[in-house]
Amino acid sequence: MARYFENSGETLVSDALRGFALAHADLLTLDPDHGFLLARDTAPSRRVALLSGGGAGHEPLHAGYVGRGMLDAACPGRVFASPHNRQVYEGSCAAARPEGVLHIVKNYTGDRINFGIAAERLARRDIPCARVLVDDDLASDSDEIAAGRRGTGGTVLIEKLLGAAADAGWGLDELQRLGDRLAARCRTLAVASAAHTAPTLGEPAFRLGPDELEYGVGIHGERARTTARQGRLGPLVERMTGELLAALAPEPDRPLLTLVNGLGAVTPLELYAVHGELVRVLGQHGLAPARALVGDYVTALDMRGFSLTLLAAEPEDLARYDAPVHTAALRW
Amino acid sequence: MTTPVSGAFSGAAWMRRFADSARATEPQLTALDQQVGDGDFGINLTLGTDAALARLDAVSAPDDAAALDAAATAFLDDVGGTSGPLFGLLLQSLAASVPSSGATAATLAAGVADGLAAIRRVGEAAPGDKTLVDALTPAADALRSAPAVTPPAQALAAAADAAWRGVRETARLRASMGRSSYLGERAEGVPDPGAVGVALLFACAEGPVRDLTPFLDGGGPA
Repeated sequence: MARYFENSGETLVSDALRGFALAHADLLTLDPDHGFLLARDTAPSRRVALLSGGGAGHEPLHAGYVGRGMLDAACPGRVFASPHNRQVYEGSCAAARPEGVLHIVKNYTGDRINFGIAAERLARRDIPCARVLVDDDLASDSDEIAAGRRGTGGTVLIEKLLGAAADAGWGLDELQRLGDRLAARCRTLAVASAAHTAPTLGEPAFRLGPDELEYGVGIHGERARTTARQGRLGPLVERMTGELLAALAPEPDRPLLTLVNGLGAVTPLELYAVHGELVRVLGQHGLAPARALVGDYVTALDMRGFSLTLLAAEPEDLARYDAPVHTAALRW
Repeated sequence: MTTPVSGAFSGAAWMRRFADSARATEPQLTALDQQVGDGDFGINLTLGTDAALARLDAVSAPDDAAALDAAATAFLDDVGGTSGPLFGLLLQSLAASVPSSGATAATLAAGVADGLAAIRRVGEAAPGDKTLVDALTPAADALRSAPAVTPPAQALAAAADAAWRGVRETARLRASMGRSSYLGERAEGVPDPGAVGVALLFACAEGPVRDLTPFLDGGGPA
């Protein structure tokens, strides 16, 4: 048993949101009735607002990226569950700029439907709305999976780059095209050596043997299609990176953005060791990160695992990456 | 079975009959959804219709458009999951198409066509996927082919007949979308509960429905 620190399972998400809004009151406000967080002061130059959302349990995604240079609003659902269309609709109405709102949606059936219903409601109010679908998870790239690849760690990079373009005053269509291009050039692969603690049971969502590894996990505690031997870190990162590079086939002149992301219960010590191996393996392929992030950016409660994300960017994306950002979880 | 209602069509009366009928048939809807879904469709439908009643009660003497809009907001805002809000999209399209001066066969046809298009965009379902689209598509076709002078209740009754036929077709289909898609051939023989809900909505324009059995067996209006 590993019980969550909570008043009750029913109130954990709303209690956390209240605390989050109090801790970051300089950046954002919480609308508790409609269930969204709204940035206080994203750039006045924005013609289009950026809104994202998804299940709770992935913190700091998405609330942690509300603020200057990234999201105008975020709609958190219950743990691992899509936000309600009402949250997305109300949040979009509150955040919308003169040329509307762009929804950044991770590819899950529930999220697609709820954001889609909100988009239909926005159309009735003549608020322009477009969608960027993030589907970076390489492990779910299969003809057998009709729903398509899942959206995972790459979301944070795409939200950052879109934020800079929105600050530059881009229109809705331009932002959507940029987002589509980034999503198409972004892949993520995740592994876990232990499951997250299921909130209702206080027990691991699944159990693995001493040297077993789930290879290709998502961010909702579901098992992967493959269970592998964990072994040493070097060969593991070689295998993961090799598969990502095979899928992306990045040209050597393309700047590579990398993200080594903890899934909730891996130490920073380990994550930096992963990054060191990643740089070594990329070097063997004649590649190097142009920019690198290491840390817990898109988690799966307390899953003991990490993900690797590669984004094969364009040269002009680097200025977008470097542009100032000031949110709870990302700032420079 | 339906009971013909004489007099002028009323959007508010339609929504109130839908609420009564949803509650009366909730156990049957739940039993259906327990076979092919997660069993919450009947409850979610009554949550929506009960919320619609509460919102209707808050409007004094609502015209057709206001009554449909109150029901739309209830289904969109007050019901969890996805099937309830998808009903809300249909009702919202009807509310936007019907003028406050009162529904006509033509405005109802336009609203249902818009609602069907919105639901197909959002749900990414096509006819034959064993979803509510399989009842809504023939209903929209029936409304479109109704002469402009058809009284609204009569046009909706024809839509209901077409929707029930679509419902019975879904029993023969194997799902490729939605919850029942995970069941494969085990869902064969059972009609899609969402499609039943759509047919129920149209049927209530003419009169209340207390028992789904004759409609599911094909013994209802031909």
